[in-house]
Amino acid sequence: MENLQKFSAEKITNDLLPQKFGPRGKIWTASLLVVAAFGAFAYVQQLRKGLVVTNMGDYVSWGIYISNFVFFVAISLVGSLITAIFRLSNVPWRTPLTRISEMIAVSAITFASLIIIVDMGRPERLLNLFIHGRIQSPIMWDVIVISTYFCISLLLLYITLLPDIRLMIIAKEKLGKTFSKLYRWLGGFWKGTAGQEKIRDRSITILCVVIIPVAFCIHTVTSWLFATTYRPGWDSTNFGAYFVSGAFLVGAGGVVVAMYVFRRVYKLEHYITDRHFEKMGRILVMLALLYLYFNVNEYLVPAFKMKKEEEAHLSGLFAGEYAPMFWFAIMVGMVIPILIVVFRKGRKPLPMFIAGVMVVVGAWFKRYLIVTPTMLHPFLPKYDAPARYSHYFPSWEEWAITAGSLAGVLLLITLMARLFPVISIYKTINDHESELPS
Amino acid sequence: MKANFLHKTIILLSLLCCIGVTRSNAQDSVASSTVLTVRYFLASNKVPYVSVTTKKKTGRKLEAINGTPVNVYFNEVAPENLLGKTITGITGEGRVALPASFKATWDSLNEFKFVAETDAVAATVPLSADVTVKKAILVIDTASADGVRTITAQLKERSGKDWVAVKDIEIKLGIKRLLGNLTVGDAETYTADSTGTTSAEFKKDSMPGDENGNIILVARVEDNDVYGNLMVERSVPWGKAPKLEQGFWHRSLWSTGNRAPIWLLALALSIIVGVWGVVLYLIRQLFRIRKMGREASLANG
Repeated sequence: MENLQKFSAEKITNDLLPQKFGPRGKIWTASLLVVAAFGAFAYVQQLRKGLVVTNMGDYVSWGIYISNFVFFVAISLVGSLITAIFRLSNVPWRTPLTRISEMIAVSAITFASLIIIVDMGRPERLLNLFIHGRIQSPIMWDVIVISTYFCISLLLLYITLLPDIRLMIIAKEKLGKTFSKLYRWLGGFWKGTAGQEKIRDRSITILCVVIIPVAFCIHTVTSWLFATTYRPGWDSTNFGAYFVSGAFLVGAGGVVVAMYVFRRVYKLEHYITDRHFEKMGRILVMLALLYLYFNVNEYLVPAFKMKKEEEAHLSGLFAGEYAPMFWFAIMVGMVIPILIVVFRKGRKPLPMFIAGVMVVVGAWFKRYLIVTPTMLHPFLPKYDAPARYSHYFPSWEEWAITAGSLAGVLLLITLMARLFPVISIYKTINDHESELPS
Repeated sequence: MKANFLHKTIILLSLLCCIGVTRSNAQDSVASSTVLTVRYFLASNKVPYVSVTTKKKTGRKLEAINGTPVNVYFNEVAPENLLGKTITGITGEGRVALPASFKATWDSLNEFKFVAETDAVAATVPLSADVTVKKAILVIDTASADGVRTITAQLKERSGKDWVAVKDIEIKLGIKRLLGNLTVGDAETYTADSTGTTSAEFKKDSMPGDENGNIILVARVEDNDVYGNLMVERSVPWGKAPKLEQGFWHRSLWSTGNRAPIWLLALALSIIVGVWGVVLYLIRQLFRIRKMGREASLANG
C-alpha cells in the first residue's frame, strides 16, 4: 500500500468504514433475499413432504446437496490460507485480503453446516448425531471438525474486528445510529490498552496456529467421507491431499472475485491494488497447477489400469453422460484460468476476476462430479432397479435449495460487508504508519 | 467285420428307438417355439400343488416367459373342473395349490390328471399340457445302532384304503443346506428294496448344524413318471453346533458407538479436548479483554 503514503489516518478510516447500500447494493441484496426465500420455500416443501421431493434414490443418496456441502467446505478454507498462513509467514501485502477471506470462510462454513441438515431430511434428528454418534464414523468426525472450524473462524473474524469496532463506535456520527447498539455490544469494551493489545495479538497468533491443522482436518475428513467407502472414483489414498489442494484453489478464486467486487463497489483501488492481484495471481496459478496435478493422478492412473469396476464410471466422465461437465470443470476450473493468469497481463484486476469466477464455477461442478457419477456406479450390480435409478438430475426443490444456499452465502458476506469494514482499518493505519518515514 | 458292423448298427438303432419312446414325466405342449410344462408337487405330505412353466425356445436356449396367465383343471378342461389360475413369474413358473374344495375328490380317488391351459389372449396359440399322477406319500425315518446312523425312506402309494410301499423306486436322500442338498452318503440316489424301503448310512458326522446341532434330512422323489415330485424333511440332532465368534460385542471400528476401540477414543478425545481447550482458552481471553476494557473505562472516569 505504498500509494497510501499521502493519506492521513482519518482519510483511511473514512474510506474503509462500512457504507450504506446504494441503489445497486439494494437491488443486489433484494435479489439475494428473493433467491434465498425461494430456497427456504423449497425447504419447507421438503420438510412437509420429506426427501421424496428430491430425485435422490437408492443409488444416488448423495446428490446436489452433498456436492454443495463439499463446495462450501472447500471455499471456507480460504480463511486459513489468507489469514493464518500469510500471517505466520509474514506476507506483508496480506492486510486488504484478510478480512474478506475471513468473511467468506465464516459464511461458507455456516452454510456448509446448514446444507448437511437439509440433506438429513429430518432436522430434529441432528441432535441424535451427538447423542448416538459413533466416533468410528467419518461422518461423526466431519460433524465435530466442522463445528470446531466454524467456532475458530468466527473467533478469528471477531478478534481481528475488535479495534475496528471501536473505530466504528467513534465514527457513529458518520455511520448513523442504526447499528451503534450492535457495535457497542460487540466491542464497546475494547479500549486499545496495551494489555488488551497484547492478549489480542497472542490470541490471533494462537488462532492462526490452530486453524491450519483444523482446516486441513476439515478437508481431509470431508474427503474421507468418500475415500473410506469402497466405490469407483472414491477408492483413493490420495483423496485428502486432492481435496485440500482443490479447496485452496477455490478459496483463492473466491477471494480474487471478492477483491475485485469490493474494490469496484467501495472504490478501494488505493487499498486493493494491482499489486495484490498480481500476487494473488501467482498464488492462483500455482494452486491451479497443483490441483491439476492431483486431478491427473486421480483420473489418469485408474484410467491407465481401467479396472472393470471403474470402467463405467471413468468412461461416463471422459466420454459419456458426464463428459461435457467433466471437461468443462477441467478446462474452465483449471486449464483456462492457468492460461489467463500465467501471463503478467492476465494478472490485472479484470482478467483475474474472470479467472476467479471460472475457478469458482468450475469448482462447483467439480464437486458435483466427485459425488454424483460415483453414486451411479456401485460395485455391486444394480438388480431389479427402476431405469430412473441409473440417472440423476436434481428436482426443482433441490435446485432451489442449492441456489438459496449459494445466495445465502453471498447475502451473509454482503451483510457483513455492510456492518463491518471489508479491510481492517486498524491494521491498514498501523501498516501505513510503520511505512511512513520517521 | 461284417457281423461287427451289424451289431453296431443294431445297438445304434436301439438307442435311437429308446430316445424316441422315452417319455418325460410331464407331457409338454409346444406351439411354435413356446413350451408349457405342468408338474405335480407334494411337500411334507401336506397340500399338493401344480407347477406350470412357460418357456420360449430361442436358438438352443429356453427362456422363461414372464406374466403368462395359466388355468389349471382337474381331469379335463371345463369350468367346473377349474382348480385355480396363476400367472407365471420371472422364472416362468406359476403355482396352483389344490383348493380345499378339492378335498373330497382327493380323498375319494387314487389317481389324478391335471390339465394346464394358457389363454389364447396371452399366447398367440393357446397351449395345453397335462400330467397324470398316482396319489402317494413319502415318509422318512432314522435309526442309530452301534454308532451307525441310518436314514430310511419309503414312498407309499394308495392302494384301496391302505398305503403300500412302492418297490424299486429311486429316492434321493440328502442334507438340506443353504444353497441346495448334500448327499448323505456316497451315492446321490438310492433305490428301494423288495420291501419298498430305501436306506442309506449317514456318514457326514461333522456337518455344521443350527445352534443346537440340528440338521435337516431330506428325502425326494423327483420327476417320477407315476408319482410326480414328492419331498419330505426331518430334523435330527446329528450336526455340530457351531461355536460362533462373539466378536460383534468387542470394541471395534464396526461396533456400536459405545464400543469404539480405546485407541480411537483416546486419539479422538485428545484431539477434541486439545483443540476445544484452545477455543475455550481464547474465549476466556475475550472475557479478560472485556474486563480490562471496563477497568480502563472506570480508570478514565
